[in-house]
Amino acid sequence: MNSLTITWITLPFFVGFVGYLLPKLDRYLALGMTLVSASYAVRALMEPAPLTLHLMDHFGVTLMVDAQSSYFILTNALVTAAVILYCWDTGKTAFFYTQTIILHGSVNAVFICADFISLYVALEVIGIAAFLLVSYPRTNRAIWVALRYLFISNTAMLFYLVGAILVYQANHSFAFAGLQGAPPEALALIFMGLLTKGGIFVSGLWLPLTHSESETPVSALLSGVVVKTGVFPLARMALMLDGVAPIITLFGLGTALFGVSYALFEQDTKRMLAQSTISQLGFILAAPAVGGFYALTHGLVKSALFLSAGTLPSRNLQELHQRPIQRSLWVVLVMASCSISGVPLWAGFASKALTLKTLLPWQMIVMNVATVGTIATFAKLIFLPHQQESSPARTIKPGFWIAILLLLGALLAANGFYLQAYTLANIGKALAKIGSGWLVYWVIVRRIVLKLPRVQEQLEHLIGGMSLMLVLLFWMVWA
Amino acid sequence: MLEALIFATILCGFFGIIFKQNLMMKIIAMDVMSTGVIAYYVMIASRQGVITPIVSEINHGPYADPVPQAVILTAIVIGFSIQALMLVGVMKLSRDNPTLESREIEKTYTP
Repeated sequence: MNSLTITWITLPFFVGFVGYLLPKLDRYLALGMTLVSASYAVRALMEPAPLTLHLMDHFGVTLMVDAQSSYFILTNALVTAAVILYCWDTGKTAFFYTQTIILHGSVNAVFICADFISLYVALEVIGIAAFLLVSYPRTNRAIWVALRYLFISNTAMLFYLVGAILVYQANHSFAFAGLQGAPPEALALIFMGLLTKGGIFVSGLWLPLTHSESETPVSALLSGVVVKTGVFPLARMALMLDGVAPIITLFGLGTALFGVSYALFEQDTKRMLAQSTISQLGFILAAPAVGGFYALTHGLVKSALFLSAGTLPSRNLQELHQRPIQRSLWVVLVMASCSISGVPLWAGFASKALTLKTLLPWQMIVMNVATVGTIATFAKLIFLPHQQESSPARTIKPGFWIAILLLLGALLAANGFYLQAYTLANIGKALAKIGSGWLVYWVIVRRIVLKLPRVQEQLEHLIGGMSLMLVLLFWMVWA
Repeated sequence: MLEALIFATILCGFFGIIFKQNLMMKIIAMDVMSTGVIAYYVMIASRQGVITPIVSEINHGPYADPVPQAVILTAIVIGFSIQALMLVGVMKLSRDNPTLESREIEKTYTP
């Protein structure tokens, strides 16, 4: 298993460059790589005990593969595979597939690393690969959005580096476990970096623009897996160290409400999906112990939603209400929205039940409010007018259907991870929440058009917000 | 003293990113900030001594910790490649926005 892990983690980088040298094979190689990752994830899931690797000495690279990682790796493999299938006939160059697979590899690296420097390197490679993918269309707007993303992520990572050396100074090791003996400022600096990278709470305000202005497949990748690279280390640290978990849970609850309150009043479909991503990341952090399963279901459903939102004739919900959409596309939207709303039959239901089970009563109330908000948000997509395909003007690419089939099929199959969720009480609660969510939609959301300000999404405010976040974190760790 | 100066460098860079209007200056400010971070690593490495850690027969006295130096070398390379990438992006943007004022660019390209 040791050599298998090392081979698997280096393979994507090799495959990426080979794909660039042999452009005819690029898609096949990339798809093959995701298959390898998926089978590795399944293999790791069946291992009885977590695998820990210390390469070199105690200050070398530390890797750790546990059940939590395998869920994240599986998410990464499925989402990347779906994106490659979606792009199959779109004439993307070998460069695109190379970057996709390098991104895939570095995201995998984040999901198994257990020391701060490997994490730093992996996160920076993700930053660069994501920059190149976002700026792939080479338009001025795409370049600006990508530049803004790189600015924010690099500044956050500089703070993170300062935190990492403080951890090293305290116990001569970069391993995650060393955070226990580190001074509070180290914790605050590292968390700030990861919160920004993961798009959590106020630090996640950069996310809506980046995710909504990217091309459809890139948005699906970013929202489906890339943001989880900030969340995963936080969840892992919450499980490894005591004293950290309450802070993480608090951030999870705050993020869940924060994201959904934006998404509720958004009129742009892609922005709404991006804001809902922020909220869903909160769900993962609120219960770090079972976050892996939630990340899997969210990654699958969010990429399916982004891919179908990119196929809609318009991004504006008001316009979509005027013009009926194709029925086949509407069915896909309804199925995906049902899963994210937690309708029984879909894995979203099982993962929500599992997350809620581990929370304290007062936290459960907050999460239920966020769930109802999510349901009301996605009711906007469910209740769109639709009609039988009348004109053959807009034909949907076959790649889209294959990708959606893969994602939704995986969502149904993922129920198998937690079949115990299907009790009468759980189903009743879920149906009650859906009823109240739809009520909120018809009574409030549908009637009110609220335009929330976007000042806080300017580059300077985002960077300035980091210093505020740092103060808040320092204060939380100190207390 | 040295530590205070290093933190001043980091803060200078950070405020530069916020307050400088020109995109080019913002990138340079980010470089200043990363210089500060690199200096901090070097300083922590030299806490116990400053002699280059090379194995030899003679004991040269207290030597510098090689681990932070090795680590920061990676970070320098990454930082440098990111800078290069950003400069290419700015170069492309400057064709249509010769003043490179970040506010203007933001206003133009945000929907």
